[in-house]
Amino acid sequence: MRDFKQTLKKVGGAALFLAILALLLGVLSRGVTDLVTKNDDLVPTRNKSTVKIRQEAGQTIDVLIVGDSLSYSSFSPMQLWNSHGMAAFVGGQSGQTIQESYYMMKTAFQKQSPKVVVLETNVIFRAKEGLDGIGESIRTCAGYYFPVFAYHDVWKSLVTGKRWTAEDYKGFQFRNTVTPYMGGSYMTVSRESRKISPVVKVYLEKIIKLCEKKDAKLILVSIPSPSNYSLATHKALQAYAKNQGIPYTDLNLFLKELKIDWQKDSLDGGDHLNLSGAGKVTSWLGNYLKKTFSLPDHRGEERYAAWENMAKKYEKRAKEILENM
Amino acid sequence: MAYHTPVYLLLFLPAVLLAYQITPQKKRWLLLLGASWIFFWSVSGKLLIFLIGTILFTHYIGLGLETLKSRCRLEAGKPENDRKQIQALFKKRQRLVLAAGIFGLLAVLGYLKYYNFFAQNVNLLLEKAGRPALLTAKNLVLPLGISFYTLRAVGYMADVYWERTSAFVHPGKLALCLSFFPQLMEGPISSYSQTAGDLWKGSPIRSENLAAGAWRILWGLFKKVLIADRLNVLVKAVFDQYESYGGVVVAAAAVAYTVQLYMEFSGAMDMIIGSGRMFGVSLPENFRQPFAAGSAAEFWRRWHITLGTWLKTYVFYPVSTSRIVKKWNRFGKNHAGKYVTKLGVTAICLFPVWLLNGLWHGPRWSYIFYGMYYFTILLCGEALAPVRERILKKWNISEQTVWWAVPRRLKTWVIIVVGELFFRANGLKAGLHMFVSIFTDFRPEKLWDSTLLNLGLDSGDYLVILLGCAVVGIVGVVKEHNLWKEENTKRFCAPIRWAACYGLLLAVIIFGAYGIGYQQVDLIYAGF
Repeated sequence: MRDFKQTLKKVGGAALFLAILALLLGVLSRGVTDLVTKNDDLVPTRNKSTVKIRQEAGQTIDVLIVGDSLSYSSFSPMQLWNSHGMAAFVGGQSGQTIQESYYMMKTAFQKQSPKVVVLETNVIFRAKEGLDGIGESIRTCAGYYFPVFAYHDVWKSLVTGKRWTAEDYKGFQFRNTVTPYMGGSYMTVSRESRKISPVVKVYLEKIIKLCEKKDAKLILVSIPSPSNYSLATHKALQAYAKNQGIPYTDLNLFLKELKIDWQKDSLDGGDHLNLSGAGKVTSWLGNYLKKTFSLPDHRGEERYAAWENMAKKYEKRAKEILENM
Repeated sequence: MAYHTPVYLLLFLPAVLLAYQITPQKKRWLLLLGASWIFFWSVSGKLLIFLIGTILFTHYIGLGLETLKSRCRLEAGKPENDRKQIQALFKKRQRLVLAAGIFGLLAVLGYLKYYNFFAQNVNLLLEKAGRPALLTAKNLVLPLGISFYTLRAVGYMADVYWERTSAFVHPGKLALCLSFFPQLMEGPISSYSQTAGDLWKGSPIRSENLAAGAWRILWGLFKKVLIADRLNVLVKAVFDQYESYGGVVVAAAAVAYTVQLYMEFSGAMDMIIGSGRMFGVSLPENFRQPFAAGSAAEFWRRWHITLGTWLKTYVFYPVSTSRIVKKWNRFGKNHAGKYVTKLGVTAICLFPVWLLNGLWHGPRWSYIFYGMYYFTILLCGEALAPVRERILKKWNISEQTVWWAVPRRLKTWVIIVVGELFFRANGLKAGLHMFVSIFTDFRPEKLWDSTLLNLGLDSGDYLVILLGCAVVGIVGVVKEHNLWKEENTKRFCAPIRWAACYGLLLAVIIFGAYGIGYQQVDLIYAGF
């Protein structure tokens, strides 16, 4: 009986220790999140989209786009706004992993109810395998539930006065240089299908379930990118999407229809698209979303006044950049 | 699955602890062995076969030696036999078995670790002689911790031979001693008497051990994540682009690497010893405030202690009692005088120790140079010892006097930093280039202009490094002067202990060098 009491006391002590730790982390996380939400310049560029999505007014986003650098180089929410009045946001990050895509969606769903979620598929092939994959899952999960892990470096910006400013239009970034892609046709015949790692499949299923739960339609899109896509990746993605019943569009197969000109539209020799290429891809996305989903046109609505202002600024800047490219 | 990763700390270690506790005491060794092999497999996969092969080979060599000893006793006890002759005969047989055992283990290590280095140098020599290349490079992968478990296995064989320990009849005991997962990656290179008892006992997990182990792991994380990984940014920038830097920047990078290596290796040791402690296993310490050393020799008694002890026990002592030393002693006494004879003995005994120390770190000339560098320094120290003693005596100086002790310590720091510069440099040529550039391009203004801020670290990073080093330094002083003992911790009430623990943990979380702008840095010694 005495032993049992002692064990109980020790277990209780351990539980109390962990509870206080969780509380401390929770309080710190809350403080750090409030701080960076008020001033996203405190956060390095890569994590900005996780802060910016928190800054958006609640229930204003209809289209959420996630993915790695291909997503924020290619999909322009302001162009969607100007053309169709769609309220879209790109929650992309350079080198975003599938785990980060999932938690980006969860972050967005805290305040938003997007009707469509676009997943740029390059994250599917950016997997960390085995133990590294498990480690990445732990890291992103900890960063989501306790954002102090994700923004722990904010003290440096406060101490050193360093600010991370960036021209950002609802997650989209201007890419204004041209380095042509000279490699020729890349979606050539391939018998092989690229493998999707088990860790990625687990998170894709989580993403599918999350979208179902939140009543959002998930679509997969592959951006034109000779460096990242091939017929082998297409086959893998098509098979997966078919199996799961998810719409999938591989824009690498529609280069003519999109009028992609690799002499003008490539930022860095076939990896990312520049602003010129982004315009063409966004134009396709706008038409596709309009045709497939009945998304509202928010232009003229009072609560989207800030969007109108940003769209004007965007249009002017985009025109300048395109003229100088 | 390095010891500082979330997978180890949050999944593997807690899972093994839980499974260990619910396993019956008699079967706990089996659980630890299974967990250790899973740990090994998670990093090296099928190469687990090398570890199992080493265990079986070492086990049977140990049994062979034990059998010979028993037979020797039996035969020597028979009245019809000449006892001395029988003992000599069996000693010879035992020596042969031991030699075969050591050769077998070193052959595997040598082939996997040094074959390509050997082939490369042979081909280079042939090329210089105008002949075609003879050996082709092979794609050889090293099993996890082979340099560590091979030394432990050799130590076991020698201990059985010297009758310091009896061979284990049960292969599981040896298997666990060689495979215990906290020791697999970076040592410590313990002997059997140090760990076998604790490992085999399977003591239940005690809350005191759990708390002390967790605290030790946290302290290790503080050193590794806060200081070492942060310094890695600067070190990598300078050493990888060494031709772009010179003078004071190279000197600063060498100091930074010395601190990084200490924080990283001793931090990993803290995590290893802490992990062992959680299971009630006391692993030997590998560091004892090395920067408090007054000489290079003392530094090596405080730095990577278990490697030093191993080399002393299994190389230095056997060489010092070998025939060659006896012969030299005889020759020296007759022809060279006491001083030269003593110096000669020191050289004969130290040379293989430092050659092996350098080679053990890896197949690179810079490591061999590193070993020879310390050999030369220690030999010079030995040669100059009479001069030093004469000065101390003549001027009536105490070694403890500040103005003698401080310059001595500073001199030791310079020796350490220069050694680590060659150790870290990308090859011997790069090391020499960097070393020379310190003197040819010494521009002190680089310390206060913005050069150091353009090496990947900002002023916030330097502040954390300085404060972190100050904390580690203070703890080191307290330990060095025995001002604090673990038992003293119990004197504080739980809230104070917990507050200290939360403070350390939050320091790691908030000021740790992880996330954007930092690379996850693999454990340096795991690569050796």
